[in-house]
Amino acid sequence: MTNAITNLVVEAMPRFEGYVYPNEATHQPLWSVLIVLYPYITGLVAGAFIMASLVRVFKVKALEPVYRLSLLTAFAFLLGAPLPLLCHLGHPERCYEVMMTPHLTSPMAVFGFIYAWYLMAVLLLELWFDYRQDFVQWSRNTSGFRGILYRAFTLGVMDESKEAVGLDMKLGWIISIVGIPSAFLLHGYVGFIFGSIKANPWWGNPLMPIIFILSAIVSGIALCVFNYMVLMWVRRRSPDMRCLDAMGMFLFYALVMDAAIEGLDWVHRIYSADEAFQILRELATQKLFYTLNLGQVLLGTAVPLLLLGTLQVLRRRIPEAARKRMYFAGSALILLGVLAMRWNVVIGGQLFSKSLRGFMSYKMDFAGMEGWFMGAVLLALPFILLTVLVKLFLAERPPGRAP
Amino acid sequence: MKSHVSRRGMMGRIGAVLAGLLAGPVARTVRAAVSKGLASAGAAPGYEPAKHKWVMAIDANRCIGCGLCAQACKSENHVPAGPYYRTWIERYIILKPEAGADRARGETLVDSPEGGMRGFGQPSVAAERIQHSFFVPKLCNLCAHSPCTQACPVGATFDSPDGAVLIDPKYCIGCGFCIQACPYGCRFLSPVTHTAEKCTLCYHRITRGLKPACVEVCPTQARVFGDLKNSAPEDPIRQFYQNNLVQALKPQLGTDPRLFYAGIDKEVR
Amino acid sequence: MPPQTFRLLLLVVGIVVTYSTARCFLTPPSFGQYGWFRGEALAELGAREPVYAGRKACEECHADEFKKLVEHGHKTLSCEACHGAAQAHAEDPDNPGVKLDKLHFSVCVRCHEANPSRPKWHKQIVVKNHYTIAKCTECHVPHMPEEAP
Repeated sequence: MTNAITNLVVEAMPRFEGYVYPNEATHQPLWSVLIVLYPYITGLVAGAFIMASLVRVFKVKALEPVYRLSLLTAFAFLLGAPLPLLCHLGHPERCYEVMMTPHLTSPMAVFGFIYAWYLMAVLLLELWFDYRQDFVQWSRNTSGFRGILYRAFTLGVMDESKEAVGLDMKLGWIISIVGIPSAFLLHGYVGFIFGSIKANPWWGNPLMPIIFILSAIVSGIALCVFNYMVLMWVRRRSPDMRCLDAMGMFLFYALVMDAAIEGLDWVHRIYSADEAFQILRELATQKLFYTLNLGQVLLGTAVPLLLLGTLQVLRRRIPEAARKRMYFAGSALILLGVLAMRWNVVIGGQLFSKSLRGFMSYKMDFAGMEGWFMGAVLLALPFILLTVLVKLFLAERPPGRAP
Repeated sequence: MKSHVSRRGMMGRIGAVLAGLLAGPVARTVRAAVSKGLASAGAAPGYEPAKHKWVMAIDANRCIGCGLCAQACKSENHVPAGPYYRTWIERYIILKPEAGADRARGETLVDSPEGGMRGFGQPSVAAERIQHSFFVPKLCNLCAHSPCTQACPVGATFDSPDGAVLIDPKYCIGCGFCIQACPYGCRFLSPVTHTAEKCTLCYHRITRGLKPACVEVCPTQARVFGDLKNSAPEDPIRQFYQNNLVQALKPQLGTDPRLFYAGIDKEVR
Repeated sequence: MPPQTFRLLLLVVGIVVTYSTARCFLTPPSFGQYGWFRGEALAELGAREPVYAGRKACEECHADEFKKLVEHGHKTLSCEACHGAAQAHAEDPDNPGVKLDKLHFSVCVRCHEANPSRPKWHKQIVVKNHYTIAKCTECHVPHMPEEAP
C-alpha cells in the first residue's frame, strides 16, 4: 500500500483524458514556451518595421518621432528571435545544417533564408542608409573604441555631400518598399509553418499565415507605442501627442482587421463543423478558457478595441493625461493578448490528441530549458538589447555629437 | 576618403570574386563524384536498396492484442522506457446503443495501456454492453507522400529507395517538426538521443534477410511483411492484397499511406 | 558607381562567397547520393545488431522441435514469441550466460486468456475457471498443442 503511494508520487504520470496516441502522453509538450516566444518575437519585428515604413513609404509625418525607435526595436527583436529556437533544438550544434543542406520543401528551411534576407537586405540596409550620415559625423567627433566602431559602420563611405545623402534617402526608400512585403513574408512564413501542418486541425488552415501577419502588425505597433512611452518616461520628456494619436489610430484599425479575420476563422470553423470540430470546441471552451476567452479575446482584443475606439471617436474630448494612460493600457493589453494568442495556437495545438479522442495536460516547469524562467529571460533579452541600441544610436544630444 | 578605383582594377576585382564564386560549386561536384565512387553501397554489403520495395500490411481480424510485437520492438530497437513507441496496439470497444435510443451504435472507447506492450486486461465495461471490440496495431504508415519527409528542414528524415521512411540520427537537429507533421502519431523525440525516432521497419533486420521483430514474434500473422519487388503470388503479402478489401488511415489528408489495414472499423483513426 | 552601392555590392559578394565556401565544407560527403539525405545513413542504420534471431536461426540447431512445431497448431509462431529474444544465444549457443530462461505459464495465458476483444476463432479460456490446480504443461504440450504429454 505504501509502495503504491510512493510510486505514484515518484512517477507523477502525465495526465490525459479520453484516448491519446501513446507517443503523445509525454510529460511536456514537444513545442513549449520557447516555440510560443519565437513567433511572438518575430511578429513584433514585422509589426515594428511596418510602423517604420509608414514613415518612409507612406510619409506619415506625425510618426517621425518614433521612426528610429521602431527600426531599432525591429532590429533588437530580430536579433533575439533565433535564441528560443536554438535553445529548443535537440542538437543546437547542428543548427548550421538548415542553411547548408536546406530541404526546400520544408517551411522551416526556407525560413532560414527569409530570416537572413530580412536581417541583412532589409533591416540592416535600411538602418545603414538612415544612419550613415550620423556615423560619419559621430566617427569624427568620438574618440577611442566607439569612434572606431562608428567608423567601421560607415563601411568606409564618408561622403557627406548632398548627392550622397540624397542617394542614401532614395535607396533607403527603395529598401523600405522592398521591406514591406519582406516583413509580411517574415511573419507570414511563421504562420505558414503552423498553417502547413495538415495533421493538426487547430493549425493547418490557410487563414493561419494571415492571422499571424495581422496580429504581428498589431503587436508591433503596440510595442512601438509601449517603447516610445517608456523611453519618454525614462528621459523625463513628454511624448509627442500627435505621434501617439497617429500610432493609436493605426493600432486601432490594425486591431479591427485582426479581430475581423480571427473572427472569420471562428465563424468558419463553427459553421462548417468538420470532424475535428467537437474536440476543438471543447479545447477552446474548456482547456483554453482562461488564455483564450479571457486573455486573448476579452483583455487582449475587446478591451483594447474599446479603449482605442473611444480614443478615435472622442479624441478631442479626452484630456491628454487620460489619453496617455489609455494608449499605454491599450498597448500593454494588446501585447499580452497577442502573447496569449501565440500561446493558444502553439500550446493549444498540442493539448488534444491527433486521434481527436482525448486531451493531454501539462504542467509547466519553472527551471529547465522550457520553463518559466527561461521564457522570461528570453523575452527580456530583446528589451535589454534595445536598451543598449538606444544608448548607442538614439540621440538625446544635439546632432553631430554621438549619443 | 573617396575610393578611386580604376575601371580595369574594378573589373579585375569582380573577376577574381566571380572565379571564387564558381570554384565553390565546381569543387562540390568533383567531391560528390569522388565520394560516390568510393562509398559503394548504402546498407549491408551486397544489399542494393534499389532492388527492394518493402511494405507491411495489417490484418486486424487476426490480432489478439497479446502485445508481443510492441514488446519485441522496444527491445529490438532499444526504444527508451516511457511513453515512446515505434509501434503500439489500440483496443477499440464499440458499445451497444442505449436501450431505446434510435442510434445504430453506442460510444466508442479506445485505449492502449503502455502501448499494449504487456497485453490488455479485461475491458472496463461489461461484456454484454459490447457490440464490437477489436485490436488495431499501429506503426509508421509508410506514406508515399510522407508529410514528415516534406517537413524536415535539413534532410534528416527521408524516404529510403527501398520503401522505408527513415531518420538519420547523426543529422537530425531535434526540431520536432516531423513529429508535429505526422498525422498518425508514430514519431517521438527520444529523450536519450534528442533526435526524432520512429519505426524503421527494422531496417537493420530486413537488409539482412530477416523479418522486422514485430512480424517475427506475432503469433497469429496479423502483421504481413514482404518485398513488392521480389514476391511470388503465393507469398503472404500478395495473398493479403489479393484476398482483402483494405483501408488506409486518414486518407483525406493525402498522405497516401502504403500501410493497408484489413478488418478495421470506421471508428479507427 | 556611387560609393555606397559599390561597398554594399562588395559586401554582398563577400557574403555569398563565404556561404558557398562554408556549404562546400559543411555538407557531408555522401549527401545527395540517393536523395536529399546523407547516403551513409542507410549503411549506418543497416549496421545495427539484431536482438531477435528469427525462426531460421533456431531451426539450425533445434530441428527436431521445429519439425514438431510446424505440424501442429502453433506452426505460425516464432520460437522467440514465447522464448524471448535469442540472438545472443544463437551466436554463442554453448555460453550458459545467454541461455534462455525456462518458461512460466504466464506466457500461455498472455495469448490464451479469454477477452471479449479477441476474435472468436482464437482458442481462449477463462483462466480462473480452467483447471487452476494444474499448470498448463500438465495437460498440453506447447510445441504440439493438440497432443497430450
